Amino acid sequence: MAIQLSSELKVLLNDRKVYKALATVDEAGIPDVVLKHSIFTAEDGRIHYLELLESSRTNHNLVRAIWFDGTVSIAVTGPDKQRFQIKGRPVEVHITGPLFEKHYVEVRQSLGDVELSGVWVIEPLEVIDENISFRRKEEDLNRPYFRHLDRLAKTPQK
Amino acid sequence: MSVALKRTFEDELTLNEVVALYPDIPRLVIIKTDVQRRGIHYTERALSVVEPDIHLVNDPKISELFGSRDGVKKPLPASLLLRDGTSILVSSTPLEENPYLVDLVDGRLALVDDGEFIEYVEFWRKPRFYDLKTSSGIPMRQIFSARPQRLSIVQSSYCHFWTNHKGCRFCDINNNNKKRNEDEKTQPRIKPQDISETIREALKEPGRFTGICLTGGSVLAGNGLFDKEVDLYIETLQAIGENFATKKFPSQLISSAFNQKQLERLYKETGLMSYTSDLEVLNEEKFNWICPGKADNVGYQEWKQRLIQSVDIFGKGHVATGIVGGVELAKPYGFISEDEALRSTLDEAESLAEKGVTTIFVVWTPRPGSDFHDQHNASLDYYVRLASGLHQLRVKYGLTVDFDDYRRCGNHPDSDLARLI
Ligand code: SF4
Repeated sequence: MAIQLSSELKVLLNDRKVYKALATVDEAGIPDVVLKHSIFTAEDGRIHYLELLESSRTNHNLVRAIWFDGTVSIAVTGPDKQRFQIKGRPVEVHITGPLFEKHYVEVRQSLGDVELSGVWVIEPLEVIDENISFRRKEEDLNRPYFRHLDRLAKTPQK
Repeated sequence: MSVALKRTFEDELTLNEVVALYPDIPRLVIIKTDVQRRGIHYTERALSVVEPDIHLVNDPKISELFGSRDGVKKPLPASLLLRDGTSILVSSTPLEENPYLVDLVDGRLALVDDGEFIEYVEFWRKPRFYDLKTSSGIPMRQIFSARPQRLSIVQSSYCHFWTNHKGCRFCDINNNNKKRNEDEKTQPRIKPQDISETIREALKEPGRFTGICLTGGSVLAGNGLFDKEVDLYIETLQAIGENFATKKFPSQLISSAFNQKQLERLYKETGLMSYTSDLEVLNEEKFNWICPGKADNVGYQEWKQRLIQSVDIFGKGHVATGIVGGVELAKPYGFISEDEALRSTLDEAESLAEKGVTTIFVVWTPRPGSDFHDQHNASLDYYVRLASGLHQLRVKYGLTVDFDDYRRCGNHPDSDLARLI
């Protein structure tokens, strides 16, 4: 089921200076992770990704995902140690029409003589807060065996 | 609304059964194939959201090369687009033939079958040049037609094979274009300048087009067979080419089977990048029956040979032949069984693929103006196996089909699958 992204995450996704990595898988299940600037959120809360190369591995994997109900992951890291992972499902790709043409013009204005293959629409399914101190606290709470004993030892008296 | 159905498909696998049977073939491409096979009917609700200023709507005054399945010229949406970018080229079909409905579901356009929601769809969009005229006053939409990402020009809507009643038996070109062909006798041909001006306008819309396709009926006039046809295409391609900074531009010619000299002229004198010449049916005996004009004037083996020779000129991955999928099962002389038809077609396609010629198919849709107007096309299962088989041949022989794929054409279930190559 699609979920709503928090406003903090939306701000991060829409910040061009923030690194985002898009992970897809190929037919054999081999992962492919690429850093992308062209990932952002649309007004309806879904994620848009601009694919510049029709023949790229990412594009092939996205086509496979929309055809065979596959999912993708997007990792986002913010300037204040924010770390999020979004799991999502590609549900549409615009290869023509007003949304495509708007981005075609914009992307060429900002990057020069590049192509635009499609505007992928990804529906967010799950957000994981990957911030390490948050994740550690969560693990300590829910999986209390998953820790080394020395971490629990009394601090030696000096 | 109740109608007496002429075809119920009860003895065939359903869409959902075929989708379950072929988990390696995308459901969306199977849907497209079945919609092309069975046709569509637009409900009044669906037609109420057509906006002629935005959407591409057929102009009854302008003949498409081939007619619709209901034989009626109405201002209906040109075709449909699925959410993965797959086009469905499909025409309005009589209700008694049991087509899919295009209706509104939750306020959105959707394909519906027997009350079941299948998929959301969109209408194609009209390019800006459709509202413009050339400097000589010709509406540009009469010169080039548009698909979601492709421009098409019909060089001639008259096929000379029909003159001796030797047109291909599945084809309705001359019957569909009677009026246009009559008009062309009295009006001058479209001038290269009009062609060039239209392309110039089309290119002003950034991101709108990725390829240009030229086609038309076979022209037997000229000093040598097809010489006149070649001359006309060269003239058109040169007019188009004036607008490009590069000598070559993404383009496809679908024409008669030209000889080596003609092909070399086309390649050297124009910006053409790919060559397609349709064998229509990959079996010599069926070809002789179904395409008597092609058989008499060129012959099956020579047609094949010319395709193979053209690979030396245009290169591997730039030559194709088109077939009309399912017509090899036409009655009374077609294959009796789908298994046999498929085996024979794929064997022959492989003999071409080995030599660098790729095969693409269109779903046969019996049209009122054709000899085969009262026949049925093949089962969905057959078309899915045909698409998969042709795709596998491309994978096996390392053939791309970028000039005729989901984006630069959109009419072939098999080349829709090439998005993964
Ligand atoms: S060659 Fe055959 S299919 Fe092509 S236009 Fe002529 S009759 Fe029709």
